[in-house]
Amino acid sequence: MAVQSTGMEAAAGPYDRAKALSAFKLGDVAFYWTTRLCAISVLLILGGIIISLIAGAWPAIREFGFSFLFTQRWAPANDPPILGALGPIYGTLVTSVIAMVIAIPVGIGIAIFLTELCPQWARRPIGLAVELLAGIPSIIYGMWGFFVLGPFMANHLQPFLIRAFDGVPVLGSIFAGPPSYLSLFNAALILAIMVLPFITAISVDVFKTVPPVLKEAAYGIGCTTWEVVRKVVIPYTRVGVIGGIMLALGRALGETMAVTFIIGNAFRITGSVFSPGTTISAAIASEFAESDGLHQSGLILLGLLLFVLTFLVLSAARLMLMRLERKAGN
Amino acid sequence: MTEISVATSVPNAGAPPSAVAGQDERAKVSVRDLNFYYGDNHALKAINLNLVANRVTAFIGPSGCGKSTLLRIFNRMYDLYPGQRATGQVMLDSQNVLDPKLDLNLLRARVGMVFQKPTPFPMTIYENIAFGVRLYEKISKSEMDNRVERALRGGALWNEVKDKLSASGLSLSGGQQQRLCIARTIAVRPEVILFDEPCSALDPISTAKIEELIDELKEDYTIAIVTHNMQQAARVSDSTAFMYLGELIEFGETNKIFTSPTDRRTQDYITGRFG
Repeated sequence: MAVQSTGMEAAAGPYDRAKALSAFKLGDVAFYWTTRLCAISVLLILGGIIISLIAGAWPAIREFGFSFLFTQRWAPANDPPILGALGPIYGTLVTSVIAMVIAIPVGIGIAIFLTELCPQWARRPIGLAVELLAGIPSIIYGMWGFFVLGPFMANHLQPFLIRAFDGVPVLGSIFAGPPSYLSLFNAALILAIMVLPFITAISVDVFKTVPPVLKEAAYGIGCTTWEVVRKVVIPYTRVGVIGGIMLALGRALGETMAVTFIIGNAFRITGSVFSPGTTISAAIASEFAESDGLHQSGLILLGLLLFVLTFLVLSAARLMLMRLERKAGN
Repeated sequence: MTEISVATSVPNAGAPPSAVAGQDERAKVSVRDLNFYYGDNHALKAINLNLVANRVTAFIGPSGCGKSTLLRIFNRMYDLYPGQRATGQVMLDSQNVLDPKLDLNLLRARVGMVFQKPTPFPMTIYENIAFGVRLYEKISKSEMDNRVERALRGGALWNEVKDKLSASGLSLSGGQQQRLCIARTIAVRPEVILFDEPCSALDPISTAKIEELIDELKEDYTIAIVTHNMQQAARVSDSTAFMYLGELIEFGETNKIFTSPTDRRTQDYITGRFG
């Protein structure tokens, strides 16, 4: 019996195997196409969004052309409407830049403290707090900014800064009065808090990739912790840190809800960071529901601009990273 | 199989008589009743020995015997990690290395270390050397050029890199990187240099160069080297310490350790019967 069955198995072997393999092959082909479709769908979605943005923005592009970029006036109620994107573009860039100026040192500082200096028992609580900060929905930041941060800034910090820089050539006009609950600076501050966890989390991750022996070598010639961080840890990880910063910048450029709450939605550019302003996404969010015709088309064009702006920033970051990597490789 | 003979031999309590063999008034580093703990793990037990100035002391023994741990005490590298502590005395000249009030940066300037893997910093070759010097001294550019050249010559690397000082330290080969690390170490003008298996990641030719270099360096420095390679210990060192399971089993003239060890475990180890 046993002998017979082994004989049969041997005879059936090659046939079964071929069949089994062809079944695998079918599965493999199906697998290949499934993954390929997944990948293609990304391109389709991206292409679809770009095309519908351009189509929606087309009336505005035809009407205003390049002057859209350089016009400060935003008067959708006029007949015919006059629409210019300079205010929102200015607001987007200014709030993002201020936010990054605040968030980069603080975020990297937290990361350095967590990886190099923090006593073991405090690491988890602080790390967790940073992660929770990332989990707070932006609408909550918006409300907090409106009810707490805005009044505090207008009543305390802004008057102080205005007085401190009064009469100083350039800074005097940047920090010019009157104090306001709703301002570019407040929005930037909220943005800084929102992007901080991105910078910290990514910096912590890349700081942990520094080989302990490299740090030991630096300590071994007598470096202080500060020197080790500045001369070894950060140069070793700068590509990753910059990646984190760019991710944060991408978020800051596009953040909508919190900013809409506290920026004041004013299209006029005054040059002072304490005056109300607007950003591209805030302008769209606050006006889109009641818009139609050319006004709506203009808002879609704003959206297209934000898309292009973000794309340019991310490409620039890519290029910078590539250059850094090439330099490190040489 | 020979583990049995090891396990049954009586462990030497305290300082074995041979541990005092290297003792004389030229002791640069003298270790007295040193115990070391990783948390609850008692990793070094009552170590007593001297590192003599201008001599190379080799530490041999199977993995986990504590030889690298001992080396990392000489420059307090263990301080970077919580839960590690040492008791006893390690005198560098007249200063106790284990003194908690000691300035660690100054200590590490006096006691340099070269690691198992080459560890060039992510900067140019020139900067790799100048960086360490700048920590302690403010000197002019031309003086610095001088120091860098001297250090690189001292590290037997000058001829290979003199035309590409601005290239990244990471662009060098493994052996060159290790010599760069040695040059970087001597650039700070230490008194003691610790080598922690400096050749274990290198090919034989680079290894020979490093060994030659160690031989030259002992003219000016006190040298301790941890190695897994017994031929290397025999070639480069004047004194050899055999360690096993956290204890110093035997310590004496290299010649004597390798030809007529007094302890059975030393003999078993150097003849390759275990480890």
